[in-house]
Amino acid sequence: MFNKDKIKEKYQSAIAKSIPPDTQVSNSKPHLVQGGTSMIGPSVKIEGKITSDESLLIEGQIDGSIVADSSEVVVGKSGILSANISAKVVKIEGKVKGDIAGGENVVIAKTGNVLGNIQSPRVTLEDGAKFKGSIEMDPGDKAIKELPLSTPSNVKAHRSSPDSDAKAS
Amino acid sequence: MRRAAAPLNQSPRLDILHSNLLAELFRAQRPDERLMVLDFGYASPSTVEFFSQFKCRLDFIDIYSQQFIVDADNECSHGELVKQFTKAINLGADCKLDICLFWDFFNYLDRPALKALMAALEPNIDQYSRGHSLGLLNARNQLPFNRYGIHSSGSLSQAEREGEQPLVYPHSQRELNTLLDYWEIDKSRLMPDGRVEYILLENRNPRPAAGRFL
Repeated sequence: MFNKDKIKEKYQSAIAKSIPPDTQVSNSKPHLVQGGTSMIGPSVKIEGKITSDESLLIEGQIDGSIVADSSEVVVGKSGILSANISAKVVKIEGKVKGDIAGGENVVIAKTGNVLGNIQSPRVTLEDGAKFKGSIEMDPGDKAIKELPLSTPSNVKAHRSSPDSDAKAS
Repeated sequence: MRRAAAPLNQSPRLDILHSNLLAELFRAQRPDERLMVLDFGYASPSTVEFFSQFKCRLDFIDIYSQQFIVDADNECSHGELVKQFTKAINLGADCKLDICLFWDFFNYLDRPALKALMAALEPNIDQYSRGHSLGLLNARNQLPFNRYGIHSSGSLSQAEREGEQPLVYPHSQRELNTLLDYWEIDKSRLMPDGRVEYILLENRNPRPAAGRFL
């Protein structure tokens, strides 16, 4: 049922895409969390709660919940989940209906479709990703407290009076 | 005023629009420093990227695609419309918004629908709330069927929306100032193609002093 080399290769490729380039170590393979990886294949359907210390690549269907707080969860293109996901890193390439909690990072890939709420220090949507719901982000110490808002010298905006319509200036 | 949009299988081109007004959204800040943002449109990668710098909560409701907007029923009572908008907005009354990104949504609502939207949103607006919207200078200008995002504090992103553009109800600035009830248009800017960008401030309460987002 499982071809471990093939699974590992696919998983590494998916993880590599989910890690921002500036956080990848050059000339090294994508980092995999210790403890190995498991794949849930396209023909597998699971109902219930999955708890894992290993990273997961999900290409099948899951109704329930997934908890992998020390690991990474990738929902592949053929993955269809009606489930809440809690993991260190989450990447969605397939369809998910449910809430997602990412300890470090959540990525919705261009093929991803998510209906639910996301909570993570950092969330990335790729062009083409479909998302509806709320996103709660807290970058911690990196959060900016003020924007560098300079007033351009050629400001065209004008304060409106109740009787005025917009005018070019 | 309907027109066909780009074919579904064609990736829409992303344009960047300069905005002198967008930064005004960040001038008042609630003391708890967590930004609450309601985006009436489609979840845009650039908006998510921009707000990832802040401690914040973003709600994307893509209200344009709601069935009661697509198949607008003119027979709906004010009460029914308010219920539909309240359900679509899906926020508790205790949630107060810092930023409302209306984009061009007002242009797809007739007067009764706009009044119902204002009634539905009212519990979530207070003196810290600010809004951004896009309108038309007059009915001769065509409204492009776009989706929008924040690209930076001084620019918007826009791309063509999929599907068929709903009926457009252009509202003048004067009309908007009346219909928007507890909002007032604080600043406006005419864009080169006849669209107008507005910054909205809540007008029922005294203005808070400018916060740390200066």
